[in-house]
Amino acid sequence: MTRCLAAVVVVWAGAAAVSGVAVETPTVQQVAAAAARKVVKIHGAGGVRGLEAYQSGILISPEGRVVTAMSTVLDADDIDCVLDDGRRFRAELVGVDPRRELAVLSIDAADLPAFTLAADGRVSAGTRVLALSNLFGVAVGDERVSVQRGVIAAVVPLEARRGAAEAPYTGEVYVLDCTTNNPGSPGGAVVDARGHLVGMLGKELRATTSGIWLNYALPADEVARGVEGVVTGAAEPVAGKPEPFDPRELGIVLVPDLLDRTPPFVESVVPDSPADRAGLRADDLVIAVGQRSVATRAAVERALGAVAPGDPVRLAVVRAGAVVDIDVGPRPRGATAR
Amino acid sequence: MTWNQHGSLMRTHRGQRPIGWCLAVWLVAIGVVPARAEPTLAEEAAFRKAVARVAPAVVRIEPAGTTSAAAAEPGGSAGPSTGLVVDASGLILATAFAVPDDATSVVVVLPDGRRVAATPRGRDVPRGIVLLETEALPGEAALETVSRFDLEPGQWAIAVGRGWAASEPGVAVGVVSAVDRGWGLAVQTDASVSPVNYGGPLIDIAGRVIGILVPLPADTAGMKVGTELYDAGIGFAIPLDELLAELPRMKRGETLRHGVLGIGYRSRDRINGEPVIGSVRQGSPAARAGVRPGDRIVAVDGRPVVRIADARHRFVPRHAGDEIELTLERVDDGPEAKRGQRTVRATLVETLPPWRRAVLGVVAAASDDDAAMARVAWVLPGGPAAAAGVIAGDRVASIAAVGGGDVVEAPSSAILRGLLAGWEPGFRVRVGLDRDGATSFVELDLAAMPSEVPDEGPPPDAVAAGPAGPVDAAQVVKLEGAEIAEPPFAVLPPASREPLPVLIHLGPPRGAVTEAETAVWKAAVAQAGVAVILPGSSDPRQWSRDDIPAVVRALQSLDARRRIDPARVAVAGSGAGGGFAWLVAERLGPACRGVAVTDAALPRQVTVEPAEPGTARWILLGSAHDPRIEQDRGRLESAGYPVGTLAIEPAAGPPAAVLCRWVSLLGLL
Repeated sequence: MTRCLAAVVVVWAGAAAVSGVAVETPTVQQVAAAAARKVVKIHGAGGVRGLEAYQSGILISPEGRVVTAMSTVLDADDIDCVLDDGRRFRAELVGVDPRRELAVLSIDAADLPAFTLAADGRVSAGTRVLALSNLFGVAVGDERVSVQRGVIAAVVPLEARRGAAEAPYTGEVYVLDCTTNNPGSPGGAVVDARGHLVGMLGKELRATTSGIWLNYALPADEVARGVEGVVTGAAEPVAGKPEPFDPRELGIVLVPDLLDRTPPFVESVVPDSPADRAGLRADDLVIAVGQRSVATRAAVERALGAVAPGDPVRLAVVRAGAVVDIDVGPRPRGATAR
Repeated sequence: MTWNQHGSLMRTHRGQRPIGWCLAVWLVAIGVVPARAEPTLAEEAAFRKAVARVAPAVVRIEPAGTTSAAAAEPGGSAGPSTGLVVDASGLILATAFAVPDDATSVVVVLPDGRRVAATPRGRDVPRGIVLLETEALPGEAALETVSRFDLEPGQWAIAVGRGWAASEPGVAVGVVSAVDRGWGLAVQTDASVSPVNYGGPLIDIAGRVIGILVPLPADTAGMKVGTELYDAGIGFAIPLDELLAELPRMKRGETLRHGVLGIGYRSRDRINGEPVIGSVRQGSPAARAGVRPGDRIVAVDGRPVVRIADARHRFVPRHAGDEIELTLERVDDGPEAKRGQRTVRATLVETLPPWRRAVLGVVAAASDDDAAMARVAWVLPGGPAAAAGVIAGDRVASIAAVGGGDVVEAPSSAILRGLLAGWEPGFRVRVGLDRDGATSFVELDLAAMPSEVPDEGPPPDAVAAGPAGPVDAAQVVKLEGAEIAEPPFAVLPPASREPLPVLIHLGPPRGAVTEAETAVWKAAVAQAGVAVILPGSSDPRQWSRDDIPAVVRALQSLDARRRIDPARVAVAGSGAGGGFAWLVAERLGPACRGVAVTDAALPRQVTVEPAEPGTARWILLGSAHDPRIEQDRGRLESAGYPVGTLAIEPAAGPPAAVLCRWVSLLGLL
């Protein structure tokens, strides 16, 4: 044991020499305490029809600027922000970013602890995080918001729906491996092990592809862009959702969409069309357009729409139990589906 | 748990703290983690390294051309899922969740984005695992497995999947919650397990594969666990080393199923009971191996067995076609017999022919001594025993199958029940009868259960120990007890008649049952010597699941004041009360030996388990007009239950006399 300790000391000294400056990493408790001071409890409208009247928000300037999730809680004349120290402020709604579903609030205060919103830098799957929010509204007055621990499970485009409506934001989100899709969580902070703001907890959503409830956060750089747009009022060039593209323009006739989820089987191929020349055949099952998996006829139309006119269209189809790649050639400008 | 503990890097080297410290220091030295880092970051680095080790073998599984309605439901199998490449020749393990029975092919998305088609090759049904076959794959990860018996609950467990994205493996971190769940099928974890990582590996912090993440099938050993438990802090993984041992069979295209041995236990306690065999099915693997009623299981495959639960832990993971080794000792040869152990080998089979209950046509007298020689209390008119000249008062001195088998001397009624459970209707037996000190022998053919309740039943004084009372001696009591808000009425036969058969009767929902309504039961109770409990619904308009605990407590309250005959407890109901009766029966489990239902179908949430010989319920169904009830009859009969018909006259009220007679006959041998 003594020998081992001696070895420890030697190696330690060596390591310090190699790395030059030892990096101080705060403890988890320090990170949680510091982050919690920058998270506010928001109280607004609701309480009827089972909708909660509370959520969370993140302080992003010492002068009292708060970013939170856009929700019915903010549909109130009186929105209150309760700070970590229990002080209660009437908040003014500065504006909203309907695409990212975030809102910026302002309270009349000064010298507040606040996060720095970095406009770049993403973390990857496997990053350990803490999520801080007033889930279920259990933190009252000067009670500290709740802390959850987890990792970033995945970084993926948001393909989600709330009820029947699809979420307007389709950029990347952080999926978390802890349960954050709770009432009160939206607007909460996600921080990494050093206490840097990594993202903001999103609203309750289900994944479209798997149907499971999503625990996710909007990445901090997206939050920064959203806040910037709201504050400056600058209209951000929004890449509008591409129009679905009718595969018949390429000579592909898919089986009629009788069910919502009819698989995209090829019913027939128009003779001498691009698809015909590329070797597509009736009864082929289209499984991908480019790198995008497609499980339904509507998904094929959306995926084709995402291919820019003039860019090559590559399909993957299942034929006789094997996957066959088909290069159909450039996508024509063409008419939109339906 | 907290994550600022040094735990996991060292947990894999339990008891070797200095090595753990040296490792941490080494990580610092090589710059993997900053100096004086919190364990948080050292652990994060270890998680990433572990994931990177298996990532090349983790692939995404996408359904191809599925139209099934179930698949389109939230959490259904239409979404992407995960698989694990276990052999570079193109063998992938995935889950039955991602590859339903009717799937002919699925699409596998490789980490480099390439898509290949794969075909289901073999299946492991109890574990919900499918082996997929596809073309040879590049970049197979050198997977290292870790035995679950080298794991300890509390150590890190990482779930890896590609359901979220094909390009980057998804990660969820938790701990090992238990190593031996689902009767030995699975490791349990609190890592977030959902359809996106079903089929992916659960790994330890060193990147060794613990198992394949699965929604544990709901029908596994009665555990109600399925996909609905995703993200609920409870997830399961099937040990990979154990699956790899089955790989050659799945590779040959075999579908592996639960293995059946064909035994029943003498004890009613399915957990803590002694593993003494009560019945052996004719023609079963157990019978062929020479297993006999009265054998105690001492070990399975060399691993000791003390309780019935231990034996189940050994049997449930085994497949049809597997050979098992049983170490047995005789308990029925008496204390003076040599308690030598013997070892037999049996090859498990997929199914046995449906069991059918066989009877001699007698009711045995209740006895305070479980081991006492069975005494005939009553003989069923027209039954095999009656035809052979057996009369009430005879004692069963011996019984043996004609044409071979043990001669069982002086069997108790419990031993008789076990023997009958192994035989079939039509089977010929030779019975030694002790009458007035002389022994005679009769041969008779066992009969099937009567299809209707006989017109006559055993007089209570013949079965129970106490003397008969006058007919008007039935008494009405309130079953008060702790946590019973509205104590129900019970109609009881005279106090001296014990042990009591019990009928729980569930009428239409209308709140509490009044004392006046107990009147229709009094004559039947006194006639048959059966206690009847009459619970009411808490909501006058409907029965609800919340009413079940009160019914169970009422039975317990009766048990506290009078001795109950555990072999004769039944539930009856009609209409809405009939559906509720099925739910109560399911809650009572093996403690319920009969269900009589009129004008109600089996509720969807009730599962029909195969009948367990020896304790299977006697079921009565009324109303021939409802096709659903006839469908239930078919389901129950093919599961091996005796199903009789209950003749009912609408508006005549509950058929009290028939139901009480039926309950008194539940112990028919």
